[in-house]
Amino acid sequence: MINIKNLAVSVEDKEIIKNLNLEINSGEVHAIMGPNGSGKSTLSYALSGKDGYEAKGEINYNGENILDLNTEERAQKGIFLAFQYPIEIPGVFTNNFLRTSVNAVKKSKGEKEINAVEFLSLVKEKSQKLKIDKEMLSRPLNVGFSGGEKKRNEILQMSLLEPNFVIMDETDSGLDIDALKVVSNGVNAMRSPKRSFLIITHYQRLLNYIKPDYVHVFANGKIVQSGDWKLALELENDGYAKFLN
Amino acid sequence: MIDIEKLKNHFKDFKKSGLANSQSIKNRTDAFERFCQKGIPTLKQEHWKYSPLSKDLAQFENLKFTVNQDKYFDAVNYEKFDHYQIVLKDGVLISENIKENGLEITQYKKDNFYEIEKNQILDFNNAFFTSGYEIKVDKNYQVKKPIVIYNYFSKDFEGNNINNKNFIFLDINSKVEIFEKNIFDEENLIFFTKNLDIELKQDASLIKYYLNSTNKNKTIYNFIRSKLEKNSQFEKFNFSHNVSSCRDEIIADLNGEHAFVSLNNIQHLSQKCFHEIKWEINHNEENTKSSQFVKSALHDDSVSAFQGKIFVESKAQKTDGYQLSRALLLSDQSKFLSKPELEIYADDVKCSHGSSSGSIDKDSIFYLRSRGINEVDAKKMMIEGFLAEVINKIKNEKIRSIFFNKLNEINNS
Repeated sequence: MINIKNLAVSVEDKEIIKNLNLEINSGEVHAIMGPNGSGKSTLSYALSGKDGYEAKGEINYNGENILDLNTEERAQKGIFLAFQYPIEIPGVFTNNFLRTSVNAVKKSKGEKEINAVEFLSLVKEKSQKLKIDKEMLSRPLNVGFSGGEKKRNEILQMSLLEPNFVIMDETDSGLDIDALKVVSNGVNAMRSPKRSFLIITHYQRLLNYIKPDYVHVFANGKIVQSGDWKLALELENDGYAKFLN
Repeated sequence: MIDIEKLKNHFKDFKKSGLANSQSIKNRTDAFERFCQKGIPTLKQEHWKYSPLSKDLAQFENLKFTVNQDKYFDAVNYEKFDHYQIVLKDGVLISENIKENGLEITQYKKDNFYEIEKNQILDFNNAFFTSGYEIKVDKNYQVKKPIVIYNYFSKDFEGNNINNKNFIFLDINSKVEIFEKNIFDEENLIFFTKNLDIELKQDASLIKYYLNSTNKNKTIYNFIRSKLEKNSQFEKFNFSHNVSSCRDEIIADLNGEHAFVSLNNIQHLSQKCFHEIKWEINHNEENTKSSQFVKSALHDDSVSAFQGKIFVESKAQKTDGYQLSRALLLSDQSKFLSKPELEIYADDVKCSHGSSSGSIDKDSIFYLRSRGINEVDAKKMMIEGFLAEVINKIKNEKIRSIFFNKLNEINNS
């Protein structure tokens, strides 16, 4: 699914990620854990093609190096970033945005666009599962949403767009236990042999709910240790200090 | 530049032409003399500091006053919902008078002009006006359907200057909604001044919508003077799209307790369009409330100027005044000029003001693009969302959808 080779990422000429290699196969869930400032969010932005993130090396997605694709092209091909801080956009209504997004992806695949009536029934079904209030969808995008509502809205977008590769950037931040369960259930329901996840987090807590196949420790812009989910438990006990120099 | 000497001869001709009724000749002559003394507005005068008018008037070396006798107005222009119609063709009222229930619409009949010292264009309008409309709503009457005013500028108009006066009077506890739109079918050079006086008696409510869309070579000056008595409300929503040059000036006097005025403007401008707002809200009594909300989306080398003033008299305690103007600068050449003013003589008031300008937020664009929406569409969504905040305040569904359709249409053109 994703094969990252010798990836280096610079922001304003400062190299943040150095020589990163990571392979994620279809159906796998990988977690990247690391301290503040280790470059985790930079990785998520580089994978999504954010402007200003200069990437060198290879990001092979289903056999194609996507480094030259822009953000929307990557999204249309099935790469989805769940934001740590979903952006508030006054005046853009959530429902409208969701349908525009779904149709943009459908259009890029040459599929028929979904009409307003079909969309409403689809969004109703998906939002009920995530305990999203209908009223929330008629509000401006993320404006005045609580932390939990913002994250549930991210998962709703994921379930509507049905991406192949999902990057979750500190999805657990700002969530209480109940919201964490709802969000994790939403993610677990999306797990499939055809879909891969890269979960970026500080804490092991989220990984109690979404159990990863592999855990990588990320420090100083590179992966310094890899293991199975038990590595997350060790990190919880020992901290990151031994990986920092 | 307008030649004052030539204009004096024009005024003599104008007085003889029958365009001015005989009772008002003295008032008109006084107003004209005041205009001549004050001269054309210049950028050095504080009142006209940002105004495109001073520059624009240079194009009008010869002002030409005529009246178009043709009364034809194509029915295709009428809105499709049930409404009362007022049609002004080249500044002259051509629609039938209306008198039913508590509503009366006639030609403008008032004859008592007033002077505002700094405003020589009002003097000009006082001297040269032709009669527009007069709307009167009786006590306790709530007009059931909206009034639509069609300001039609036809291609067979031979003059280059139109000035008119209009009046809206709402008696105690009456209510009406008015939607006004400009229709232009030619790119001829026109200098248009419009004066509207509004009087709202106790508990009266007026909501006025104004769609001023797409024109070339037009210099428009809209001047509204509104007086609000106790517990009356005046709400106004303007949508200006690609108006070549326009100044919207409003003075609102809140003269009775709990009077409320809400002024809301959208400017969507491109190329060399210039739109200017000059608002002055006078809180003259206790417990009065005002809101000013302005959004501008500026492409190319367009300019939007905002001068909004909240004035609070010493006795106007518990005043609540709000003002926010924001601009999206969509090109390096576009400009937003903002001058918020507060002049407060009471000590127990709540007044806030804010003004900001900037380009489209890059993180927001990234967020939308990360959901598969291309950059061009993401920017359109952002512009639409930015301006829609004003439109969303409109409660009348029909008018709201007209404004939204207009926004969609221009955003996708």
